[in-house]
Amino acid sequence: MSVWASPLGGYPRSRVVRRALRDYERGLLGYGELERVVGEASSLIIGSQLSSGLTYVVDGMVDWHDIFRPFIESWRNVTASGLLRYFDNNFFYRIPVFTEKPEASKLVWAPRVRRYAPLAEPSGLKIVVPGPVTFTSMSINKTGYSNEELAEAIAKLLADEVKAAIEAGASMVQVDEPMLADHDATRDEALLAVELVNSIVASAGGAKTALALYFDVPRGEVYDAILDVKANCISLDVVDAPERALKLIESKGFSDHCGILGLVNSRTIYDDPVDKLVEVALRVARSSKVGEMGVTTTTWLDLIPYSYSLRKTYLLGVLTLKIQENVGVAGGV
Amino acid sequence: MGYSVPRKFPTTVVGSYPKMPSALEAIKRRRSGEISESEFNEMVKVAVRDVVEDHLWAGVDIISDGEQAREDMVVYFAERFKGYSVGDWVRVFDNEYFRKPVVTGRVEWLRPITVELWEYASSISAGRPVKGILTGPYTMIEWSFDLHYRDRRELILDLAKAIRREVEELVRRGARYIQIDEPALSTRPWREDAELLKEALDIIFKGLEAKRIVHICFGRLERILPYILDYPVDQFDLEMKNSNFRLLPYLKEYGYNKEIGFGVVDVHSFQVESVKEIKEAIDKLMKTDIVSPEKAYIDPDCGLKRLPRDIAKAKLKNMVEAARQAREEW
Ligand SMILES: [Zn+2]
Repeated sequence: MSVWASPLGGYPRSRVVRRALRDYERGLLGYGELERVVGEASSLIIGSQLSSGLTYVVDGMVDWHDIFRPFIESWRNVTASGLLRYFDNNFFYRIPVFTEKPEASKLVWAPRVRRYAPLAEPSGLKIVVPGPVTFTSMSINKTGYSNEELAEAIAKLLADEVKAAIEAGASMVQVDEPMLADHDATRDEALLAVELVNSIVASAGGAKTALALYFDVPRGEVYDAILDVKANCISLDVVDAPERALKLIESKGFSDHCGILGLVNSRTIYDDPVDKLVEVALRVARSSKVGEMGVTTTTWLDLIPYSYSLRKTYLLGVLTLKIQENVGVAGGV
Repeated sequence: MGYSVPRKFPTTVVGSYPKMPSALEAIKRRRSGEISESEFNEMVKVAVRDVVEDHLWAGVDIISDGEQAREDMVVYFAERFKGYSVGDWVRVFDNEYFRKPVVTGRVEWLRPITVELWEYASSISAGRPVKGILTGPYTMIEWSFDLHYRDRRELILDLAKAIRREVEELVRRGARYIQIDEPALSTRPWREDAELLKEALDIIFKGLEAKRIVHICFGRLERILPYILDYPVDQFDLEMKNSNFRLLPYLKEYGYNKEIGFGVVDVHSFQVESVKEIKEAIDKLMKTDIVSPEKAYIDPDCGLKRLPRDIAKAKLKNMVEAARQAREEW
């Protein structure tokens, strides 16, 4: 069994980045200077992942205000409006308001990939996009089209994003559908999400692809639908609600997907109990019989202070190494 | 203390009110270390006076100090309980950050926190009762980091004991309404979480000679509802208007039998609800036949802190008038 690691998503801003963004918003700093600061910060974040031995790294997305914002800002017919709580976090995103089907005026990922993929070597650069079902259900739809039609339009743009990012050199594509882990998510939503995620990952060529669910554990009937997704991997949080998560994985497995386990808790700041987490990983490996395991953080790392995000990156590396050692000892569980 | 709260549809507030400039200035100066805690409270009193004047002008029956001293509902208490340290920067939205408190030792109550401003508000309230309002233990643990306990139950129970001490101080000085704010509860509507909070509330409210209120707002209230009906409280204060009163049928279904703090004013909207609109909301509650008018407290959905002052004031005024009309009818 192969075991690799990647942080789930974006990183918090260092003091330097916060200041630069603030000064930029006040007109005290030019765009070029902001770009330089963000570029340096991203390079450091990539470096911390490389030195921790992570296989797929992210650029940190430190210039994103929330997961939807860069896309909203690159698309026509959608704007960011009022604030709303982002799942169960004390963090708020701006609600996207769609007035028509969105059209892209520029690409979010391809330029970033061209800039950061070379820095990520020998690891691969992972790109992350918000899933169309989560995107739609967390937006206000004033288009006159149904939510399903809006989600389809979003999926189409995301597929273009992915295609261009892969051409630019991205190694992994992750589609985030945290809404499907919500207790109120329905099987129909999951079926739609799977269909749309399939259309997005179809643009990923030979790159590794994943569907990520987090902030909670999906209900059984939702997860059943998700198991049909054509992404290579399915990513689940297994430590926020360990009982429910392990029960789900032990009863349903990952089908023929590689399983990505959110093991390093990125909403707490203490050091994770690495040895205990190794046990959890081995338990999952035994019960689900996955041939490939990804190890990740429970959520994006941007909900904790910057210093702790670096510590968690290091712990993710240590944990993954220990799992690899144990898998070896156990003769490929 | 000659004011008598109406028997039917008493009006109240959830707590926070737009920050007055004097309060903002006091918070800034305290943060930079220019003024002591007692000088801080003195400065904030100027702001509390403005809030109380607005509440009286609108005719609210059970008022608050507008939480003028509280920069943030969690940080305010974390800075004053033992066991908390100043945290590192965490994003709230966009590029706005706050220092999320960290529990680094055993949490303990040290000295009265909210009492001085509560007493001050009571002294100028023309006899109207002032709510004692505290951030609940569940919200305190959810919205801060923990490096000491690594066990949510242990931490929440110690927080409950600390909050209990503050509650005792308020009640000893005559507070008749104690409200515990738990906005975080609806974000994680699980039975385990609700049961954890129940244990904590048992500590906070046990044997208390005051009205025991828990405020919950936004999120999936209908999911949390079945788990909280046996809480040791007299009243749940609930956000209703923003979610278009969709909770009402659930209250009916679950056989709700406590008092209700009925949110009739949307705190996220700058549009002032008309008297007619609010009166219709009260009628709706009455027609659902869940509580009697004596058990229905009329208030906004949540704190009014994010509204401009003139809008907050106008909303309260209309709310009071609607309650007055409802008293004639029901
Ligand atoms: Zn509230």
